Amino acid sequence: MAETGLSEKRTCSDQGLGHYLPGDVPDANKWADCVHCGLCLEACPTYLETGHEHQSPRGRVHLIKSVAEGKVEMDEAFMDPVFTCLDCRACETACPANVQVGGLIEEARGQVRRAVPVTGWRKQMSRLFLEGLFPHPERVNKLGQLLRFLKSSGLSSFARKSGLMKLLPQHLNLLEQVTPEPGEPLRKKYQEVIPAQGVTRARVAVLTGCVMDAVFGEVNEATVRVLTRNGYEVHIPQGQTCCGALHVHAGEREAGRKLARRNMEAFAEADHVLVNAAGCGCAMQEYPELFKEEPEMREQAEAFAAKVTDVSRFLHHRGFEKPKGEIRARVTYHDACHLAHGQGVREEPRRLLQSIPGVEWVEMPEADRCCGSAGIYNITQPKMAQAVLESKMEYVPEDVELISMGNPGCMLQMAAGVLQHGRNARVVHTMELLDRSYREGDKKEV
Amino acid sequence: MFRKKERHSDPLIRKLMKLVGKEHVLHRQADLVAYECDGFTLQRGKARAVVFPGETKEVSAVVRLLHRERVPFIARGAGTGLSGGATPLGGEVIISLVRMKKLLRVDLDNRTAVVQPGFVNLKLTQAISKDGYYYAPDPSSQYACTIGGNVAENAGGAHCLKYGVTTNHILGAEVVLPDGEVIRLGEDGIPDQPGYDLLGLITGSEGTLGVVTEITVRILKAPEGKQTILAYFDDVEDGSRAVSDIISAGIVPAALEMMDRTAIEGVEAANFPVGHPLDIEALLLIEVDGIEAGFQSEAEDIVDVCRKWNVREVKVAKDEQEAAAWWANRKTGFGAMGAISPDYLVQDGVIPRSRLPEVLNKIRAISQETGLRIANIFHAGDGNLHPLILFDAQKPGEKEKALQAGSRCLKACADAGGSITGEHGVGIEKKEEMRFIFTDEEIEAQTRIRSVFNPDNLLNPDKLFPQPGRCAEVKQEIKEQQGLKV
Repeated sequence: MAETGLSEKRTCSDQGLGHYLPGDVPDANKWADCVHCGLCLEACPTYLETGHEHQSPRGRVHLIKSVAEGKVEMDEAFMDPVFTCLDCRACETACPANVQVGGLIEEARGQVRRAVPVTGWRKQMSRLFLEGLFPHPERVNKLGQLLRFLKSSGLSSFARKSGLMKLLPQHLNLLEQVTPEPGEPLRKKYQEVIPAQGVTRARVAVLTGCVMDAVFGEVNEATVRVLTRNGYEVHIPQGQTCCGALHVHAGEREAGRKLARRNMEAFAEADHVLVNAAGCGCAMQEYPELFKEEPEMREQAEAFAAKVTDVSRFLHHRGFEKPKGEIRARVTYHDACHLAHGQGVREEPRRLLQSIPGVEWVEMPEADRCCGSAGIYNITQPKMAQAVLESKMEYVPEDVELISMGNPGCMLQMAAGVLQHGRNARVVHTMELLDRSYREGDKKEV
Repeated sequence: MFRKKERHSDPLIRKLMKLVGKEHVLHRQADLVAYECDGFTLQRGKARAVVFPGETKEVSAVVRLLHRERVPFIARGAGTGLSGGATPLGGEVIISLVRMKKLLRVDLDNRTAVVQPGFVNLKLTQAISKDGYYYAPDPSSQYACTIGGNVAENAGGAHCLKYGVTTNHILGAEVVLPDGEVIRLGEDGIPDQPGYDLLGLITGSEGTLGVVTEITVRILKAPEGKQTILAYFDDVEDGSRAVSDIISAGIVPAALEMMDRTAIEGVEAANFPVGHPLDIEALLLIEVDGIEAGFQSEAEDIVDVCRKWNVREVKVAKDEQEAAAWWANRKTGFGAMGAISPDYLVQDGVIPRSRLPEVLNKIRAISQETGLRIANIFHAGDGNLHPLILFDAQKPGEKEKALQAGSRCLKACADAGGSITGEHGVGIEKKEEMRFIFTDEEIEAQTRIRSVFNPDNLLNPDKLFPQPGRCAEVKQEIKEQQGLKV
């Protein structure tokens, strides 16, 4: 008890909440749906790796419930499975009863973070990323500039050759290697409003994201081009900030709430909030979960969440201009967890990609199995992330040239896998391929 | 980051760690919580530890140790069982076989496959379907349950109507006996052996006779084709009579499943809805397979029978996707109850098909008398009922009421000339109900068989059979006094 920093009087066992702290308690209605059938087991990457039931969705739900029943304390043995979860939601797809395991895990993490503040290097890491970096677009962009400088100056290859990089854990080292030459961040390059090409069908707002904008700037550019080409006037509200997904995943729910409020304000005018990063889209659709105890905010968050759509779904549902430029390549698709399991977006990106002339489609077996990226999981839990990636790579078809997906974290992680396994495939975002086909088509016409 | 470097205070745990490796033993209280029950949640106990051997040799070494130290132990697969067979009662060491999850060999010429016990049921069919083969027993939990667990429980499934249950598909097994000795039963590819059918005895013994560490199974050539039929009835009796008529017409469907109104409400509120109407009283899900000409005409006959019994709507799946959606909806039916009730208890009675309407009426009466809703999802074709008793364990007294209602459902089945379990096993749950179908002497005879294999009762103790009743003990005393050895 003492080592957790959790004192008896702060718990609320007398209020029927077992060992949880008052406020934002894991939702009993969520675990009441679980009847312990076990159909989630084989869907869970960490169960598949460990074979341990406390590292399975059913086991975790049971554990979270046991804390509320006062049978288990919020100690290290509780934290371990709760934080080893990838929050990939594959269990939610498998679950017959729709148990919201992801939401429960996030609530439990919030409790743990309040009860047991992070210490040591993890605290530094989490502070650096969650407080110092992501809520500040200009800093993320600076990091982008730094990366750009390292790459273009050859310093990063110097660091690699000199063995400096060996100081980093292997997995981080790999991630560094696959981080692309960053393009220019969208928020700097474009005006706040980018007009549609031809007749304006509708106005849409775009979330630029942190990692996406700093590291994959060209994906954001491609997204804007695809949207304007399809007749959408694109707004890039300057007041927008990090979506807060990483904070909520890490149990920093108050920080997540702050960011959510800012985004809801920044996008207040928008009818459609389009997102090209699975993790961000999913988190924004789940803003209402953060305001369970503030009815008025919750209502606002629900209205906001209803406006958030993944860009591939938006294009597919509203009809899109058929791309004409040929891309002669064997293409496969990796389902980002927070698209497939989190938002139910599976068919839409496939249809967009399959509409590109010249594409030879190869379906990836177990395409919706997590790659191990999971936000900053690959930084906080490098060992498990690597094991999950290894399992994922077994399913990537040997002879594909392009692996398309809809999430920046996955793009980095899968690129690391491709590099490690000496594959020739390139990792791309669905919007990039669509954009390339449009542009190739234009060239031909000229 | 959470590991501590201290030596564990329990010497047994230190010894187990030495045998299988430190990382393959769980012993912290919080880590054991997940193992306090299986799919049957009404009774729970705390294990002393969970140990994960990686090969037969390690299983044998662990069992030898536990046998020597007189520590009770339980084998466990995915823990999806529905009668508490893999649930500790308190203090047992759980031997989890999930690390032993390899498909060892496939022999298409002889139509066999060899798997380790932790290999997941559905994965076998997935692995051999490209060659046109499949593994027939398909319990609804087949997405997650292990073949080792299937052997222990003699698991059934929707398609067992035509193809038989697990025991009909097991050709050989490697078994670690409760003292650690490793034996082999059956020969690879030889379907039947002279002498007693020990393999048949092990299959369905609910983990009380030995720990199965390798299994040779029969695989089947996939049928040329199949057709899936869905029929909606406004009256349960009409549906039941259609079932009887289909079977008595000489048709053996691959599967013949029924769901009642409450069950349909559950599956439609859950994660795999297919749009069944909510105001029908029963639906039948029927699959026929085989050669094209055969199953086509069978499908037509089935449609005719349904029409005869006033079906509201009957349709044939237009493609594989539609059939798959209907099946996913059915197979996730138990778990789906979570969407309409906090807890459920599933029962597993068997009755002669002809008594279906009468027993369903009795179950309805039990529901009315106890005030608990009961959904019915079952393998109608072989008379295997699954009444799902819905309750809320948080409400004082409901759990007890549910258990009582479950027991009464089984009594109704036994009274109709049936049995208390078709495929889920007895476990802890139905121990007492064994008395509905066996006399004390019959139970005593069976416990003697157990003691041949498991003389110290260390392996999965206190499962499967009721404690000898007071009255049996008295009878025995009298008999012994009279010099009659029982």
